[in-house]
Amino acid sequence: MRVIRTVAVNVFRESVRDRVPYNLVAFAVLLMAASYILGQLTAGQDVKIIKDLGLAATSIFGLFIAIFIGIGLVSKEVERRSVYALLAKPLSRSQFILGKYLGLALTLTVNVAVMTVALYAVLAYMGWVQTPAMKAAAELPAVDPALLKAVLLITIELMVVTALALFFSTFSTPLLSAALTLGIYIAGRFNADLRHLDAIVNARPVVWLARAAYHVLPDFAAFDVKTEVVHGLPVPAGYLAATAGNGVLYIAALVAAATLIFSRRDFK
Amino acid sequence: MPAAIRTDALTKDYAVGFWRKRPYRALDALTLEVPAGEVFGFLGPNGAGKTTTLKLLMQLIFPTAGRAEILGRPAGDVATRRRIGYLPENPYFYDYLTAEELLQYFGRLFGYDAAERRRRIGALLDRVGIASERRLQLRKFSKGMLQRVGIAQALLNDPEVVFLDEPMSGLDPIGRRDVRALILELRDQGRTVFFSSHILADAEALCGRVAVVAAGRLAAAGRLSDLHAFQARGWELVVAGLTPEVIARLGAAAGRATEISPGRYTLELSLSQPPERLLPELTAAGGTLVSLNPLRDSLEDFFMQRVAAVGRGARGDTPGSGA
Amino acid sequence: MTAAPARLPLAGLALAALAGAILLQAVRDLRYPRNEALRAGVLYVRSPEAMRRLTFGFQALAADVYWVRALQHYGGDRLDARAGAAGPRYQLLYPLLDIATTLDPYFNIAYRFGAIFLGEPSPGGPGRPDQAVALLRKGIAAMPQKWEYYHDVGFVYYWRLRDYQAAGHWFQRAAEQPGAPNWLPSLAASMLTRSNDRATARFMWQQLLKSEQAWIRTSAERSLLQIEALDQLDQLEAALRRVGAQGGGYAWSSLIARGLLRGVPLDPAGVPYELEPSTGRVHVGPQSPLWPMPDETVHPR
Repeated sequence: MRVIRTVAVNVFRESVRDRVPYNLVAFAVLLMAASYILGQLTAGQDVKIIKDLGLAATSIFGLFIAIFIGIGLVSKEVERRSVYALLAKPLSRSQFILGKYLGLALTLTVNVAVMTVALYAVLAYMGWVQTPAMKAAAELPAVDPALLKAVLLITIELMVVTALALFFSTFSTPLLSAALTLGIYIAGRFNADLRHLDAIVNARPVVWLARAAYHVLPDFAAFDVKTEVVHGLPVPAGYLAATAGNGVLYIAALVAAATLIFSRRDFK
Repeated sequence: MPAAIRTDALTKDYAVGFWRKRPYRALDALTLEVPAGEVFGFLGPNGAGKTTTLKLLMQLIFPTAGRAEILGRPAGDVATRRRIGYLPENPYFYDYLTAEELLQYFGRLFGYDAAERRRRIGALLDRVGIASERRLQLRKFSKGMLQRVGIAQALLNDPEVVFLDEPMSGLDPIGRRDVRALILELRDQGRTVFFSSHILADAEALCGRVAVVAAGRLAAAGRLSDLHAFQARGWELVVAGLTPEVIARLGAAAGRATEISPGRYTLELSLSQPPERLLPELTAAGGTLVSLNPLRDSLEDFFMQRVAAVGRGARGDTPGSGA
Repeated sequence: MTAAPARLPLAGLALAALAGAILLQAVRDLRYPRNEALRAGVLYVRSPEAMRRLTFGFQALAADVYWVRALQHYGGDRLDARAGAAGPRYQLLYPLLDIATTLDPYFNIAYRFGAIFLGEPSPGGPGRPDQAVALLRKGIAAMPQKWEYYHDVGFVYYWRLRDYQAAGHWFQRAAEQPGAPNWLPSLAASMLTRSNDRATARFMWQQLLKSEQAWIRTSAERSLLQIEALDQLDQLEAALRRVGAQGGGYAWSSLIARGLLRGVPLDPAGVPYELEPSTGRVHVGPQSPLWPMPDETVHPR
């Protein structure tokens, strides 16, 4: 709807004015410097390393943006009270939340897209510079469309983290929101280990708790298929669909909960 | 004509204390009616519940009990927001936007197309006097300029009812004069203006009716002229060009005289000493009138009385629509 | 009122979406199981020292994580083996255990697990007794008075490497440590003198049966069953030799006919033994849980 789109575009504009794009520049510089240095050192392994580096950096930069902008999405407006004048306009509180979320999602998507293009550009250059012997020795092409599978899941993973940050931002301070979001992200990354906690801990209640947490928390490690695409291992379409769907459902749950909390809030 | 704004036993409690046991009653059963087309002053000392009432009307907070209506619809109705404007107290907008971009943002929320937005924004920026700063980022705006932007965004949609929370705060005398003129203009255009203030002089100059709150309760409501305590209890004249002998000769007629500087005096007259009678004598004695002001109870004094009255259970002037 | 959306449908949506997410996650994990250990490490950091520096402050926690990964890796590859998948397995078991014990040098379980399973031949393990000994030496360096580690080294030399002199030596050193059980000296002695004794092996495994660790007990049970099978193999082969080959060769029917067997004989795990008709040799079937049997040289003639 028009109103949601207006709010979303405003969030995007704020992130641009807040110098978020500078991180894209940092990323591009990092990637190009790394590729140059590696080109001087190793023969053949540099393409793989650049792929690893590019994907990892996309994920990490994206994570920082998702958390640090996400925690302030709502709380900043409420704290500074710019929300007063805004909510006197004809938009409902749920439209506000949705707009904020979609705006940050848009920012992240643009970010990831730019970084992916930069990565492919660097890979294309490296592929162009490769000797035929190196090309033959490499198992995978430098410009490998399979990387996009990893990028897709990275994007969805970032959207889930954003939804988490938004959720916390509707009722707690930025500092606490950041801690909680980061904590859940880390727990989610080690999700599989929670399942096997009985290998190191003997107390049954703790093990049961860990197992419950394993089921409820999103398994962020599942979104990480960087290793597979870089090594040419298969990533089935069914897996992509299920994981993407899993992410979308978590997002829906978190945004709905955020709307619920925000819609009944008193603004001091 | 139906009331523009109506509240019915509107109450707001806040839970305070670590265990949230003792609620703090910020607003206690406020019942008010504001007729359309008037300038209505919502007065009270700081902390009396004025901002709480406005936030309840804008549904920034939710009532513990009671109801509020704007233009016949419940407060918080999204459709009604097309017809109202709101200026928050000490407004803050978005640092990184320019004045023009802010109004564009809000204009889009109202659904105006580009041409419409341009027309409205241009007119408003001129009207509030910040046309030359339209491209400046809001983070560079002074408090007074922000207030003007606030008024502009409140009027963007040609509202029938305008809510202003302390509209004069942070303005210099020129700014205050401008805002006063603007409020009168809004009234002349047939809009309802509901503004809160703790400055009596503003209310006097602008309002048809007022309501007075103190400690979360309604202490008085009605036409200014009907509220006794707002009437003068005396006069204060500042005169120049007199000598101590003249003062001595005037005697009791001059009331209580205090010298400000050689030749310049302040004369305090009681209600029974109309200044019109004194003026010819002063002029004859060679004096000139510098200023003439009614002496009143300060708003604080008035409130102290009303609060005490409210506290004793007496209700004084009846709340609700004045005669 | 209005700007505030209805609470109940929204809460319902949130819960339904969460339930859906949990369900989808479970279904996906069933359909596409992932082996965490293998992925996480296409181990970037192979060097335990580097790992130690990277996880400064959180070493014990990291050690735990690596231990869990080691177990998952072992379990996962074990399942693959049972399913008949081909290829080298358990590649990461030693590196994972090595890192875990570098991060936490007192990680007792890791040492003992490695002692038993690193030496285990395929398909039950990587068949690397040298790795087992290396790991245990590390443990001894960290905890020089733990008799269990010396004992475990001796065990590896005896059971996997068939170096009876070395085994006896290590058992002797174990016996010298404080708290060593009183059966160790006699074990050392029999190792050094006869060294080739099924009874000794049985005795050693029976001691391990008393361990606190469940998987050590399981291993001991299995090994004891294997020793029982060895006894049965002896008896079966002896009986077959006595009866002699018939026209087509040796056959169970000859024993059944004479009432020596009631049917095809089963090993202690319940799987039928296999008979080579031409030679009269009997083996434990490859699909038996007891397979592969310990080396034939332990099987005296």
